[in-house]
Amino acid sequence: MTGRGHAGGFGDKPKSGRKDDATIRIEKLRKVFGDLVAVAGLDLRVEKGVLYGMIGPNGSGKTTTIRMLVGLARPTGGKAWVLGEEVPMRRGVERIGYMPQEMAIYTDLTVHENLELFSQLYSMDDAAFREREKELLGMIDLGDRRDSLVSQLSGGMRHRVSLACALVHDPEVVFLDEPTVGVDPELRAGFWRYFAELKERGKTIVLTTHYMDEATRCDIVGMMRLGELIAEGTPAQLMDGASASNLEDAFMQYARRSGR
Amino acid sequence: MRIDRTLAISRKVLRSLKHDRRTAGFLVLMPLFMIAIFGYAFGGSVREVPVYIVNLDEGFNGTMVSDMVIDDLRSRDVLKIVEVLGPEDLAADPVGTSIDKVERAEIWAAIVFDENFSADAMGALASLRAGLPAVPASIEIHMDATNPNVAQAVTAELLRAVQTVTVGEWHLVPPIALEQDLVYGEGAEFIDFFAPGVMGLAAMMVTFMLSIISFVHERATGTLDRLLTTPVTEGEIVCGYAAALGLVALIQSTIILSAAVLLFQVHVEGNILLALMIIFLLGIGNQGLGFLLSSNAKNEFQAVQFMPIVLFPSILLAGVFWPLEAVPDFLRPVSYFIPLTYAVDGARSVMIRGWGLGEVWFQVLVLILFAAIMLLLSAYSLKKRR
Repeated sequence: MTGRGHAGGFGDKPKSGRKDDATIRIEKLRKVFGDLVAVAGLDLRVEKGVLYGMIGPNGSGKTTTIRMLVGLARPTGGKAWVLGEEVPMRRGVERIGYMPQEMAIYTDLTVHENLELFSQLYSMDDAAFREREKELLGMIDLGDRRDSLVSQLSGGMRHRVSLACALVHDPEVVFLDEPTVGVDPELRAGFWRYFAELKERGKTIVLTTHYMDEATRCDIVGMMRLGELIAEGTPAQLMDGASASNLEDAFMQYARRSGR
Repeated sequence: MRIDRTLAISRKVLRSLKHDRRTAGFLVLMPLFMIAIFGYAFGGSVREVPVYIVNLDEGFNGTMVSDMVIDDLRSRDVLKIVEVLGPEDLAADPVGTSIDKVERAEIWAAIVFDENFSADAMGALASLRAGLPAVPASIEIHMDATNPNVAQAVTAELLRAVQTVTVGEWHLVPPIALEQDLVYGEGAEFIDFFAPGVMGLAAMMVTFMLSIISFVHERATGTLDRLLTTPVTEGEIVCGYAAALGLVALIQSTIILSAAVLLFQVHVEGNILLALMIIFLLGIGNQGLGFLLSSNAKNEFQAVQFMPIVLFPSILLAGVFWPLEAVPDFLRPVSYFIPLTYAVDGARSVMIRGWGLGEVWFQVLVLILFAAIMLLLSAYSLKKRR
């Protein structure tokens, strides 16, 4: 059988059109590029304050889903709401933050100039920005590189700057597409501490990752394959449901069960 | 549309230029280099060009415009008038004889004033005074154009002489574009003619180049997408870029103009701010064009391929180096389709003819439309991208 085998029973699937206050709500979302079905009727919801991890191989539709949620791609079918606004959002854009997979920061500007640019695009006032910049530079451990050109930074450092740019305006929902690629283990641990902190402050985080050990740190994990959600639940539920000792094996199980 | 976000984009563009010292240096030095090359290469005066003059002019009410022009030519050393043949030589076919000399490369040109030259010239002046369209009187030039520099020097010298005479005698600069067969023309020094052209060309090259490369880069690295996820609107991105690159074009034009005035004593007759505004509009339009084309280039290398396609027609057909009238008829529509044509014509009219907005409104209007359409299309294409 194809179809979505929801292994864990986490959360009720909302009925289409029903009013609910999920931070992110996705219904039958589809995205087709020519012959390629990137996202094949995805249903998903993320509650406020949840750290949601999307895992799956390349081409499973994670990035495309996120791009639709942040308004960079128009759904071919289905609908999605972020903070109650249907995507692509016209209002409330300033309440979301997005860190794309590629660095997507200006290498010909300094770290400070990148952060300042994004703060200005979000119409932050100077004082608030200065405060925020100090905090973020501390978090990404680049306080001493504030005035370095990004082109002079290592790949990992650039990644950290990119993350800081996504968070500069203190968004309520953050979409992070592979935020920890190329980041060394020590700093990665730092990132996760910061994500936990954001969560405590009521922020909702949706991230994609290739690292299964990272996925275990998420509240809810959605396993994606070929544009569909093949399993969803807490890491423990997912492992239980597949009688696996780790998420990697669990993923293989669900992939086999999904029959594709 | 919010001005703070627009300015944030502008600031970003200028800051990246500031950090890229080499590009910044290029932006300053390129115009200097261009004006120096053009100034010295084309501005170097050609002297003592041997010519024949055939003067069949019968005069008009006792006025011999042709004689006045010939006297003026004699007072300078650009042309060496080897022989003046008059009506008394008609039996010997003076025109044929002169052309023969040209064909044998003994002289560069045979200049012929026909019998109605004075009458036509006075008629044209009268029309101008009356505000009517003037039918130009013509001077025939049979020229060996093997060397375009010489050919242009002959034409320019002749036109200069005609202008000196008409202005000196009748205080009228006929507002007629430079055309090889026209009696009336600017007759400006070459460098005067070039300076506005070089300003326009440099502004166009730089805004187009910076825009297409920047946007290809923004698209390839994902920064453009990222900008689009922030509250900044498509219009603000496009206008922010336009303002920054327009400013770069302005700075460049100012450098070119200063160099032209200081190094080559270029005369500026009209309001320089108006000329700069024309260049600014051109810069904005071209940055928009660069933006639009950037969506068809996957990387910087592909972007560079657009440059000759856009630049060559502009360089050759927009009247920068050759007057529009020297452009073959079948290519003329292309010229009128190139915005640089209007910018150069407008800036030139302001700087050399001393015209104001009242006279160059059409050129300014075309450039405003060009800039507006490019910006709108750019913003629209960004919107469609989502």
